[in-house]
Amino acid sequence: MAYRLGIDVGGTFTDLLLLDVQSGKTFLVKTPSTPQDPSVGIMEGIERICQVAGLSPGEIAQVLHGTTVATNAVLEGKGARVGLLTTEGYRYILHLARSWTPGPLFGWIIMKKPEPLAAIEDTREVEERLSPTGEVVRPLNEEKVRRDIIDLRDRGIESLTVSLLHSYANPVHERRIKELAAELCPDIPISISSEILPEFREYERTLTTVMNAYVKPKVRSYFLNFERKLREAGINSVVNVVRSDGGLMTLRAAQDRPVYGLLSGPAGGVVAAAYVGRLAGHPSVLSLDMGGTSTDVALTRNGQLTIARETKVGYYPVKSPSVDVQTIGAGGGSIAHVPEVTGALRVGPQSAGADPGPACYGRGGQEATVTDANLVLGHLPPQLVGGEMSLDVDAAHRAVERIGRRLGLDVHQAAQGILDIVNENMFGALRLVSVERGIDPREFALVAFGGAGPMHANALGRLIGSWPVIIPPDPGVLSALGFLISEFKNEFAQTFIRVMDDRLTLDEVLSTMDRLGEEARQWLIEEGIPPQDQDIRFNIDVRYYRQGYEIPLDVTHDQLRREGLASLKRRFDEIHHQLYGFIPATPMELVNIRAIGVGRIKHFELHKHEPAPGEAAEAIIDQHRIYFDGEFIPTPIYDRSRLGVGHQLTGPAIITQYDTTTVVLPGYQCTVDEYLNLLIRPQT
Amino acid sequence: MTQRTAVSIDPITLDIIESALKNARFEMDAVLYRTAMSPSVREQHDEFPMITDPDGRMVVGQFGSYIPELLKDFGPIEEGDVILMSDPYECAGSISHLNDWMVIYPIFYDGQRVGFSSLFGHMMDVGGPVPGSQPQHATTIFGEGLRIPPVKLFERGKLNESLLKLILHNVRTPEMNRSDLMGIIAGCRVAARRVQELCDRFGKETYLAACQELLDRTRRAMAKLIRRYIKEKKKTFIDWVDEDGLGNGPFKMQLTVWREGEKAYFDFTGTSRQAPGPINFHINEGLMKMFCGVYLIMNTDPQILFNDGFYDLFEVILPKGTIMNPEFPAAVGNRLNTHTRMFDVLSGALGLHDRQLGMAAGYGTSPYFVYSGRDRRGNYFQLVELLFGGIPGRPHDDGLDGHSWWPLFTANATEYLESYYPVRIEQYYPRRDTGGPGRHRGGTGILKKYTFLEPGEVSINDDRHITHPWGIWGGRHGGRSYKKLIKRDGTEIELPAQKDFIRVEPGDQLLFCTAGAGGWGDPLERAPHRVWLDVIRGLVSIEQARDGYGVVIDERTMELDERATEELRAKMREKRGPLPDFDFGPRPEVIPPSEWQG
Repeated sequence: MAYRLGIDVGGTFTDLLLLDVQSGKTFLVKTPSTPQDPSVGIMEGIERICQVAGLSPGEIAQVLHGTTVATNAVLEGKGARVGLLTTEGYRYILHLARSWTPGPLFGWIIMKKPEPLAAIEDTREVEERLSPTGEVVRPLNEEKVRRDIIDLRDRGIESLTVSLLHSYANPVHERRIKELAAELCPDIPISISSEILPEFREYERTLTTVMNAYVKPKVRSYFLNFERKLREAGINSVVNVVRSDGGLMTLRAAQDRPVYGLLSGPAGGVVAAAYVGRLAGHPSVLSLDMGGTSTDVALTRNGQLTIARETKVGYYPVKSPSVDVQTIGAGGGSIAHVPEVTGALRVGPQSAGADPGPACYGRGGQEATVTDANLVLGHLPPQLVGGEMSLDVDAAHRAVERIGRRLGLDVHQAAQGILDIVNENMFGALRLVSVERGIDPREFALVAFGGAGPMHANALGRLIGSWPVIIPPDPGVLSALGFLISEFKNEFAQTFIRVMDDRLTLDEVLSTMDRLGEEARQWLIEEGIPPQDQDIRFNIDVRYYRQGYEIPLDVTHDQLRREGLASLKRRFDEIHHQLYGFIPATPMELVNIRAIGVGRIKHFELHKHEPAPGEAAEAIIDQHRIYFDGEFIPTPIYDRSRLGVGHQLTGPAIITQYDTTTVVLPGYQCTVDEYLNLLIRPQT
Repeated sequence: MTQRTAVSIDPITLDIIESALKNARFEMDAVLYRTAMSPSVREQHDEFPMITDPDGRMVVGQFGSYIPELLKDFGPIEEGDVILMSDPYECAGSISHLNDWMVIYPIFYDGQRVGFSSLFGHMMDVGGPVPGSQPQHATTIFGEGLRIPPVKLFERGKLNESLLKLILHNVRTPEMNRSDLMGIIAGCRVAARRVQELCDRFGKETYLAACQELLDRTRRAMAKLIRRYIKEKKKTFIDWVDEDGLGNGPFKMQLTVWREGEKAYFDFTGTSRQAPGPINFHINEGLMKMFCGVYLIMNTDPQILFNDGFYDLFEVILPKGTIMNPEFPAAVGNRLNTHTRMFDVLSGALGLHDRQLGMAAGYGTSPYFVYSGRDRRGNYFQLVELLFGGIPGRPHDDGLDGHSWWPLFTANATEYLESYYPVRIEQYYPRRDTGGPGRHRGGTGILKKYTFLEPGEVSINDDRHITHPWGIWGGRHGGRSYKKLIKRDGTEIELPAQKDFIRVEPGDQLLFCTAGAGGWGDPLERAPHRVWLDVIRGLVSIEQARDGYGVVIDERTMELDERATEELRAKMREKRGPLPDFDFGPRPEVIPPSEWQG
C-alpha cells in the first residue's frame, strides 16, 4: 500500500511518476502543463496515473514535488512588489549591483540590465551599523524603522526584505526588525538575510534574500492551492518539495524559503542520473539533460552530487546551494543561422521554443533548428512510435537547405554541420564541469535524458570519451524519478573567516561544528525524521589567505580530532596543486563551516527485469537509409518497448520510444541492462 | 612568417575550433580568478587573456597581440619557456605601465610551435616610491617601480628561482604578486593544453589552417564594416585630458578618421606633446588597431570573433613625442587617463562618419584609491581599489549608473574591504544629476565615503574634473568628478584629482566622487514618466528634470504634472536652436575656443 508519487511541473509537460515501494515498479503519466493554474494539470495527471496503476488516491503515502513556479516568476518578472531595508548608505545596493559589465571590450554597449527586484523607491535605510566581527558600532534606531515599515506597507509592498551589513556575523538588528515588522504588518511575509544566507558579501546576500521575498507570495499561494486540491482529492499523504541541491523540504519550508527551490527540476534530473548510473554499476556520471531550449549538464562523482553555492537565474546571481548545473542555450529548438558579415554557422542561443517550434512542426516556423537537422538526416523518424505527431520532412529540408546555400554545402552536410556545432557547444559545457575542474571525464559514464538528449548522447560520448553512454528507460521523466529518491536536506552554515595560525585552535573549530550540528539535528527532529534515519555531515570551505574562491573539504569530527587542523592544509595543498600546478606560500584560511542535516528516506530499488527471450532483431520495425558522417547507411529502426534485458545491437541504429529517440552511431554497440537502460559503448 | 602546408578546412571544423578556442580563453579567466590573491585581479578582474597563432597573431582574446614585436629581437623560444615582462618600452607598448605583468607561454605540439597563450594582470605593487606604484610625481619611468624587460622566468620548464626572488624582493606585496603571477601562468598552461587537445583531435595541420582561416574570416568581415561605415572624407574630433599629476594640462587629443579604398586611417596628428607627468600612453600600434576594430564590431555585429586578422586594413598614425607615443623614458604610470580619452575621441570621430557609431563620453579613466600603513599590531596593509562611474547613454538604452567601463570588472564588496582592511565604507551611492540629460540618460558617477580606522597614507587618481563628459546627438554633458577629505574635527579639504602621500588619521573621511556620463539624443524626447522615476529614485533632481528635460514635478506631492510638462517642452523647443551634435558643457578657460573642435 506504500505508493510514492513524484510530480515535476515543467513549462510544457507535467510529468508524474508513481512508485510502488514494495515491488519497485513504476507507472508514468505525462500531461500538458496548465500554466494558469498548474494544479489543474497535476490533478488530471493524478487521476490518470491512479487509473493506470489501479489504486485510489488515498493510497498515496508521499508526494514529492518540484516546480518552476518560482523560477518562472523571476524570468517573467512576475513576482511580488518587494520592500527592502538596508543599512544606511546602501539604499542603492541592488541598483549599483557590483558594477559588472560583460566582456569583451565595449561589452557595455550591448548589455541589458533588468530593473532590481526591489525598486529603489521601495528601499529604506536603517540607522544602525555592525563591524565585520559583529560588534554594534551604531545601535538600531527603532523609531525610524517603525516609520519606514509603516510607510512601505502603506505604499503597497507585498513582501519585505531586511539585509544589513555584516548581519552574517551578528543577526541582532535583523531579528529585531523582523519582530517589529511582524507586529506592524502581520500579513506581509518577511525575509531576513541572516536566515536566508548568513554569508559575507552584501550584494549577493541582499539579492538572494530579495529574490526569496520576490517569489514568496506567489509560491505560497501556489502551494496552499496545491495542498488544498490534494486534500480534496482524498490524498492525505505527506507532501515534500525538492530543493535546488536535490534535498527535500517540507511544504512549510518551501513557502518560507522558496529561493532554495528555484532549480528543483534540474536537481531532480541530476539526482536520478546519479541513481541510474549507480544501478548500472557506474557511480560516477556526467549527466546531460537536453530539452527544447536548453541543456543542463552536471557531474556526480562516486555518488556525491557537486553542490554549487552560486547559480544564475536569468541575469541574477543567486547564492543558494544548488546542484552544480551548467546550462547552455542549446536544445532541439535552437535555431541555426549564418550571420552575413562572417558567413559562419551558428546554432542558438535563440530558440524556436514550442511555438512556432522547429520548421518540421508545421506551425509556421521557418528557421532551421537542431530538430530539423536531426529529421533531415533521419536520426529522428518522421513518425514517432506513439504516432501522436507526424513531422513535416519537406519543411525541415527547405529550412536546412537555406542554411546550406549560405555555406556552400548540400542539405545533408549542412544538417550534419548543425549537429556538430550544437554538439560542440554541449561538449564545452561538459568540459566545464569536468576537465576544467581537473577531473578526467573518461572515468565517468554519461547519462543522457530529456527529450533530445538520447539523440545526441552517442556523439557526445565520442567527443568526451565517457563510456558507457546510458539512456534510462524513461528519459523524458527523469526529474520525477529523482524526486522519488531524494533525501531530506538542509544546511546550517557559519561564516568563520580565520587564518590557520597558532591562534586558531582545534577546539574552536570543533565547537562551531558541534553547534551547527546541533541546529541540524534540531531541524531533522522538527521534520519528523526518526533518529536512525538522521545523518549529519560537515564541510569546511578553505582557501589560501587573500584568495577569493573557496574549495569545500568534507570533514568529520572524529577525523579532525585525530589528525588535527594540519590535515586540512595537507588535503587542500594537494587539491590546489592538482588543479592549478602550484601551492602558494601563504597560510590557509577557513571561510565557512557548514553542517548538512540529511534525513534518509526509506531505501528502495527499482524493479529488476528478467533476461528477455529472443534477440534485438525482433524489435526492428522498419529500415531507413540514414546519413552518418558523410554517407547514407541502411539503418534499422527499433521499437524500444520490444527490447528486453540482455538484448544487444550494433550501430548504426535508431531506437524509438514514446517521447524520445536514441541514435546509435556506426562503430558502436548497445546493450540492454536489467533495469532496461540502454548502454552504448564503442564496438570491440 | 612560418611556412604552412595548404590544408583545406571545412567550415564546420572551423566553427568548432573557433568555439573551442573561445571556451579556452574563458577557462584562462576562471583559473586566474580562483587562484589570484590581489583584490585587483581576484575581486576586480583587472586581467586580459589571449591565444595566438605560431606567429603571435591573436586568434581569440580581448586586447590584440603584441607578440610579433617581441619575437623580432627575443631570440629562440623553446618548449617549457615562460616569458615575463612589464616594461612598455621594451615591448613596443604591448603593456602600457609597469603594474601590468605579462606572461607569454609558447605552445608546442610534436616539437613544433603551434601558438602562444598570454595573460597580463595588474599587480598591487611593483615597488618604487609610492604604495601601489603609480606615483603622480614621476617624471620618468625610472621613478615608477621595477622594470622587467622580456625575460625567461622558466627555461625549458625550470623556474629561475633567483630571478623570481630578485623581482619579488622589489615589491611591497611579494606574496600577492607571487600568487597572482603563478595564477597567470596556470591560466596560460590551461590554454596550452586546450590547443594541444585540438591538435590531437583534428591534426596539427588542420588546427593551424583553422587559425589562419579564422584570421582571414575576421578580415573579410572587417573589410565590409569599413566600407559600410567609414567615409572617404576626413572627420576630426578633439577632446582633452585634464592634468598630468604635476599641475600641467589640459592636454589635447586629436583624431582624424577617413578611408582610402578598403583601408581605414586613424591619425592622431595634432595631439599634445608628451606630458612631464605620468599620463603618457605608450600604445602598441597593433593594439590601437584592435581598439578601433573592436569598437566597430561591438557597434554593428557583436558576434564577430575579433582577432588580429584585420590589421592590414587599418593604418594608425601616432606622432612620436606626443602623449600617444611618448619617447623613452617618459613616465607612463597613469596612462589610463589618456587611454580612456582615446576611446572618447574614437567614438566622437566615428560618430561623425556614421551616427550609429557615436556614443557619449563616460567617466573617463580608471579612478583609483590606495590606502596603506601599519595597523596597531604592526602589520603592513595596502588597499588598492578601482572605482567606476557613469556609462554613456547608449543607442538602445540609458547609460548605466556607477558601472564599469572596463569589461568584466567588479566593485569590491564592502564586507570584504572591512574584513581585510582598517576602513569603513559609510556610503556607496550614485551621484544625483551627474548623468547627462538625454533621450537615453547618461549614467551617474559614484559617491563613495571612506572612514579610516588607522593612520596611513592615501593616493588618489581620477580625471574629468576639469572637462565634462560630453553628450551626443542632442544629449547633454554629464557631471564632473571631485574629492574631499573631511578631517575628524570637521575641517573639509578639497583635493585635486591626482595626489599621493595624503596623510590620514583614524576618524578622517574621504569622499570619492567619480564623474558621470553624457546623455544620448534629445532629452525632450525622453518619456516624462521615466524622468519622474529618476526623480523619485534620487538620480535626477526636480530642478534638472525641469531645466534639462522640460519635465515638471510638483515639489510637495512629488507627482508628475503632464500638462505643465507639455507646455514647458513646447516652449523649450521653440526657444532653442538646432540641436548640436555634441554638448561639451562649460569649457575651462585654459582651452581657447578656437581649439575646441577641429
